[in-house]
Amino acid sequence: MMCGHCGCGGPDHEHEHEDGTRHSHSHSHAHGHTHTPTTLVELQTRVLAKNDAIAARNRAWFAGREMLAINLVSSPGAGKTTLLERTIRDLHGQYDIGVLEGDQATSLDRDRVAATGAPVIQVNTGTGCHLEADQVARGLNELRPAPRSILLIENVGNLVCPAMFDLGERAKVVILSVTEGDDKPLKYPHMFRAAPLMLINKIDLLPHVDFDVARVTASARDVNPAIAAIGLSARTGEGMQQWYDWLRREWTVATEAAFA
Amino acid sequence: MHELALTHEIVAIVCQAAGDRRVHRVTLEVGERSCATPESIAFCFDVIARGTCAEGARLDICRTDGDDLMVTTMEIEEAA
Ligand SMILES: Nc1nc2c(ncn2[C@@H]2O[C@H](COP(=O)(O)OP(=O)(O)OP(=O)(O)O)[C@@H](O)[C@H]2O)c(=O)[nH]1
Ligand SMILES: [Mg+2]
Repeated sequence: MMCGHCGCGGPDHEHEHEDGTRHSHSHSHAHGHTHTPTTLVELQTRVLAKNDAIAARNRAWFAGREMLAINLVSSPGAGKTTLLERTIRDLHGQYDIGVLEGDQATSLDRDRVAATGAPVIQVNTGTGCHLEADQVARGLNELRPAPRSILLIENVGNLVCPAMFDLGERAKVVILSVTEGDDKPLKYPHMFRAAPLMLINKIDLLPHVDFDVARVTASARDVNPAIAAIGLSARTGEGMQQWYDWLRREWTVATEAAFA
Repeated sequence: MHELALTHEIVAIVCQAAGDRRVHRVTLEVGERSCATPESIAFCFDVIARGTCAEGARLDICRTDGDDLMVTTMEIEEAA
């Protein structure tokens, strides 16, 4: 049996094997060469179907509560938690903000966020390099965020895996800090394709590093022409207002969409 | 290494559909833009399938230019 579903079919064609080698073969038999008669079963099941179904449920849950949920993604140390701390303090009194912290281990980030007074829970993913929708669902059960609040989800620091997993958020926001180099959108296109907004953090350090903001913006738009970009410093506060303006627009849409 | 999580899901999908029948072969479609590395899935598969109905099954991976990651077919032993 060939893999005729993907258009690469034909009896003589290349297959990728468990050992990573490619070779052609023209007839079918299990490699273990068993002689048990077998039946072919059509599955046509998306591997992420279960995650996506739970994500859809989360999304409906947010919509029902007129909430805005944002999934913050970046490589380790780009400044997600620092951005959260400052955002919560600056917007205090304007919005209810809750936080779901994802890390492989420790509650360090939860403690930092808790010090701002915002409700926060920590999800430890263990060996998992990303958050999955059911972890968020369980987190929501515990956090019980208020209607019309904003939920900021800090994903595990990783520019690769979190791109694949829908959590039910309204948008992914990718944070890139100027110390990471301006070639990242081209090296990690999936993440930049998945996010409508890129925050370029640590611009206070620009005088000390080789980082071309115009070039990084252009290369992010090569992989995602619609991506918006905001340069800011979560340390000095420069540029943060533009991020708050973006959040306000998204919040307005999320809270009004319930009646649309 | 999200391929580890993906491979767990692949084995779960296959074993659920197979019931208690043995799986001899699984065909997977991996899109170019799916953000999954076929080699890593192949690497994880043998280990994760161990002790399940898919232990020892052959995994055929077909690359496509789409963005989906799908378990397309499987071969299972005929019902007794
Ligand atoms: N100079 C400067 N440093 C910053 C800025 N934002 C964050 N940092 C520093 O960068 C380091 C990492 O910041 P975090 O906020 O912990 O980064 P993170 O993305 O949450 O890290 P992980 O959760 O481990 O992935 C800390 O030492 C911060 O003080 C900034 O705008 N400017
Ligand atoms: Mg952090």
